[in-house]
Amino acid sequence: MAATASEGPFSRALPWLVPLALVILWQVSSSLGWLPPNILPAPTAVLEAAWTKLQDGSLIDNLGVSFARAMSGLIIGGAIGFSLGLLNGLSKTGEMLLDPTLQMIRNIPHLALIPLVIIWFGIGESARLFLVALGVFFPIYLNTLHGVRNVDPQLIEMGRIYGMNNRTLFLKVILPGALPSIFVGLRFALGVMWLTLIVAETIAANSGIGHMAMAAREFMQTDIVVLSIVIYAILGKLADSATRALERKFLAWNPAYAKV
Amino acid sequence: MSSQPTGGSRVSLKDVKKAFGNNVVLQGIDLEIPAGQFVSIVGKSGCGKSTLLRLMIGLDSVTSGVLDAPALKAQAARIVFQEPRLLPWASVKDNVAVGLGEGQSGQAADKQAADILEEVGLKGREGLWPSQLSGGMRQRVALARALVSQPTLLALDEPLGALDALTRIDMQALLEGVWQDLGFTALMVTHDVGEAVALGDRVILIDHGHVVLDLAVDLPRPRKRGTPEFAALEGQILDKLFGDDPRAREAH
Ligand SMILES: Nc1ncnc2c1ncn2[C@@H]1O[C@H](COP(=O)(O)OP(=O)(O)O)[C@@H](O)[C@H]1O
Ligand SMILES: [Mg+2]
Repeated sequence: MAATASEGPFSRALPWLVPLALVILWQVSSSLGWLPPNILPAPTAVLEAAWTKLQDGSLIDNLGVSFARAMSGLIIGGAIGFSLGLLNGLSKTGEMLLDPTLQMIRNIPHLALIPLVIIWFGIGESARLFLVALGVFFPIYLNTLHGVRNVDPQLIEMGRIYGMNNRTLFLKVILPGALPSIFVGLRFALGVMWLTLIVAETIAANSGIGHMAMAAREFMQTDIVVLSIVIYAILGKLADSATRALERKFLAWNPAYAKV
Repeated sequence: MSSQPTGGSRVSLKDVKKAFGNNVVLQGIDLEIPAGQFVSIVGKSGCGKSTLLRLMIGLDSVTSGVLDAPALKAQAARIVFQEPRLLPWASVKDNVAVGLGEGQSGQAADKQAADILEEVGLKGREGLWPSQLSGGMRQRVALARALVSQPTLLALDEPLGALDALTRIDMQALLEGVWQDLGFTALMVTHDVGEAVALGDRVILIDHGHVVLDLAVDLPRPRKRGTPEFAALEGQILDKLFGDDPRAREAH
């Protein structure tokens, strides 16, 4: 992949060619009336809807609400998953005590809990937060645990021979060694995070992008429904790019991440 | 060279035995190693070479007998393994700094690290990651990390075993030069009899947990392989290693 024609403006434009063609095809079909707007609105109609929603401020409001939900859930679930992953990775007792239970719970699809969560929390903010946090917990937990467990024992022996205390050993050897795996967990978690949020906002919410889409559905405003889908896609892409940037920064020593 | 000589320290073993459970790995080991000597240790795989090294630098304790090594009390013994065991996420300079131990930083530490990197021929590569270095250069970093705290006793467990033949020759010369500059006592395990004779003041052959040959190598340095004296010493060691089995010798 690296050795072939990867330089030059032509090859940089190459990946965009097919999406661009699809959008043009879509626009032409709409303009010629092949695609009725109540099935799929034209791209220009979606842009128009975006402009209107931007001007009345509701797009930014809903976007902000969804983003805040996603991040709070990620931070809460991620922090718990990371801490337990470290704990069980570093302590045999911790692992024996907690890991079997967590591995069992892991097999329950967290979205299956929605009815129960609604009974517990109602359809308020805490229900959505709980679902997102639960969803991101497992990928972060599992990959942190795996990362810590798989740090090269020869490096740990080296650290001990050179007199590192536990704290230095953790900061200089174990944590950096586990980091690639933790990033894998973070990427997974981001996917789960958006998915959970979409479902949670679609089923039960009175704000957020998912709610915007459901409200539009009632009035058959397909342009706004499509706009919501596009926004979710953009948010997902942004989160992925942010993770890649973090990987490039923190895993620069690893040839696999140096140039992605 | 910019690093100051550190000098060496002696190691003495009297009737040392090492067993893991019922498995007696070393027995009746008597050795007097004077300060600054370069000792090569050879023997078949599994005969206890690594165990002997680990004893002598205090990574393991003897089952019985007496081991006396002043470097251990002074925490001035270090080891280099066959694998460089560098932190992949730390630069060359930071990897060497690991050798300075806890809380050693500042200008004096920086100077020490810079000096030893120059000594092993890595000046100008301080900022690189290990993944950007060749196998030989990685082993030089490991050597620098071991030497930066100025140990008087250095153990090397097949330090060049993973390198290709040409790099090995290079590294043998480097190792000899560094040892001559700094003057530490060197204990090197190798499976290459030629390497043992080329570098050692003395070659020790271990078999079934005993020292079966202790041979002084009295040739001027740097030594030329292929001279009759060199070949005679090699032959003596190989004879003892393989007995009179000519096929085993050919294979070697
Ligand atoms: N930590 C240990 N626990 C149990 N047995 C060991 C240990 N270390 C080495 N041994 C045993 O000691 C013997 C010699 O090992 P070693 O010193 O590594 O050999 P060499 O380095 O000469 O190949 C082997 O039989 C090995 O199984
Ligand atoms: Mg060995």
